[in-house]
Amino acid sequence: MSKTGAIEPTAEASTPRTTLVPPPRPNASVAGSARVPSSPLDASLDAFFIPDFCAPRMVFAVVLVAELVAVTLALARPDAAFLSELARISMFLQWVGLTSAGLLCYSRRRLAALSVVKSSAAVFALMLLNTALISELALWLGTAFGAGGITSTLFPSEHWSFLLRNCGIAVIVTALLLRYFFVTHQWQKHLRAEAQSRIQALQARIRPHFLFNSMNTIAALTRSDPRRAEEAVEDLADLFRATLRDSHSPLRLKEELELSRIYQRIEALRLGSRLAVSWDVAELPMRAFVPGLTVQPLLENAIYHGIEPLENGGTVTVAGRVVDGEVEIVVSNPVAPPRAGAEERTGNRIALDNIRQRLDLAYGGRGSLTVDRQPERYTVTVRFPYAE
Amino acid sequence: MSGLPLSVLIVDDELPARERLERLVAELPGCAVAGVCSSGADALPLVGKLNPSVVLLDIRMPGMTGIEVARHLGALENPPAIVFTTAYDEYALEAFDSQAVGYLLKPVRRERLEQALKHASRLKPPQLHVLATSTAPLVTRQHVAVRVRDELKLIPVKEIRYFRADQKYVTVRHTRGEDLIDESLKQLEEEFAREFVRAHRSLLVAVAHIESLERAGEEGYALKLRGETEPLAVSRRQLAELRKRLTGR
Repeated sequence: MSKTGAIEPTAEASTPRTTLVPPPRPNASVAGSARVPSSPLDASLDAFFIPDFCAPRMVFAVVLVAELVAVTLALARPDAAFLSELARISMFLQWVGLTSAGLLCYSRRRLAALSVVKSSAAVFALMLLNTALISELALWLGTAFGAGGITSTLFPSEHWSFLLRNCGIAVIVTALLLRYFFVTHQWQKHLRAEAQSRIQALQARIRPHFLFNSMNTIAALTRSDPRRAEEAVEDLADLFRATLRDSHSPLRLKEELELSRIYQRIEALRLGSRLAVSWDVAELPMRAFVPGLTVQPLLENAIYHGIEPLENGGTVTVAGRVVDGEVEIVVSNPVAPPRAGAEERTGNRIALDNIRQRLDLAYGGRGSLTVDRQPERYTVTVRFPYAE
Repeated sequence: MSGLPLSVLIVDDELPARERLERLVAELPGCAVAGVCSSGADALPLVGKLNPSVVLLDIRMPGMTGIEVARHLGALENPPAIVFTTAYDEYALEAFDSQAVGYLLKPVRRERLEQALKHASRLKPPQLHVLATSTAPLVTRQHVAVRVRDELKLIPVKEIRYFRADQKYVTVRHTRGEDLIDESLKQLEEEFAREFVRAHRSLLVAVAHIESLERAGEEGYALKLRGETEPLAVSRRQLAELRKRLTGR
């Protein structure tokens, strides 16, 4: 368990950070939560609201929080010497904190199988038991290593009051943390679901214009050129398969570019010599990963908005290279003269927003899409980290 | 239908689409392909020359859209019936639904095509005029069509200096001369509100062609247009609006 736990925790480990620093900007969290599904190994663990306490960052957070509480408690006792009070409380709290983290780490898998109420109750029981045990241990150490002198200030004497006070604190802190974890988890789940459904809805929206025009082309070719009609059907099938694929699995750049070329082939059937695409992608690392359907929609946009409205057509250029460890792909098309119909602009923006969102989901703010609108040419540049 | 076959002109910018319609029409009994062309600009002179009964007109074409072509055809004395074809064009179809304009969805089915052509062939000229102009609210034309005998002459809107209403017709004054059109000044004003401004009750002037606004006589004002020697009188009522448009351009 600890093994998988140590590998998967990117997002969960980032949760405790928020206990120490002010809540992160919303979009930063979106990115964080979006990266969670990277481990499909254990979905139920992923969906569990209590974070993985085996993760190094989580352990560090526990130590830090325990220390902050210790400082707070020490400050709250003006009649005792601050440093010795701090030392005493720190030692006790670190013991409680780390053993609790250890317990949660080992029991997480079992807890994850329970309902929220049951697992919360179990966590309460565990924490109380642990606090009581550590308190008893402290008491025992206090008596075993002699009372009086310096040690008398370091170790407590009133047995029951000590035990009860500690359990009280444990209950309050556990309740607060459980509530915190639960709310954070719900929020992230909500954001994730929302982003996902939006992506799926947008992906489903392959441009109907393209679909029906392609169908029409194929209908025409079945008689005049059955062979090409057959190829067009195959191409269309490939393209739709890609559109319907799971949005999470990234593609190799090679596959994405292949899809774009398939798309170009279909469009060329109906646009003929009006459509020219100049590919300058030899420098691109074909093994690099890219979120599916990044380049193809850009090409589609370029053709729909740039080439189709031009009577004599034009050339779309697709150029790619690697800059500073980032893959950069630039798609540009000639600008068609403005036409009555503002609705086309909106369509374009939706497509671009869709790509932007997918880059965000995949790279958490490290991918970018920029648009350069010149009077003569319209250029879209996509950049994202190079990963193989 | 009588003995004469129904002549059909096909207009579509995509070759496969043209080929398919051509084949379908040719296979229909009582129908014949009069001509095929790939743009709105080519279609207008062809209609004059071939005088087809029906034009199968693609909506989404580069240059001049099918809707604009239809409007220009409406200026003909005997306009052909128009059947729009479109692969997917929600916005256009919505507007046509209430009208009697025929439209076909691509890929076009043989039976539907046959029905549409039959229906179109039964329409009478007055109905055809209504059909062609029913698209008016849908489009701001880039040209204004002038009927010269049986042919259509297109005047780019950019070249038009002003429209002047006479008793029955509207005179279009443009960089290459003058023509008469059969449209109302009011509709022209609505359609070209962006480029034109009223100077007085019967005069609509292109803002881009105005050189200056000058005093004329005691209290009046007049507009000077580039390339025009004669100044155009401005009514007092339009003066404020005119000034606003001139400073805002």
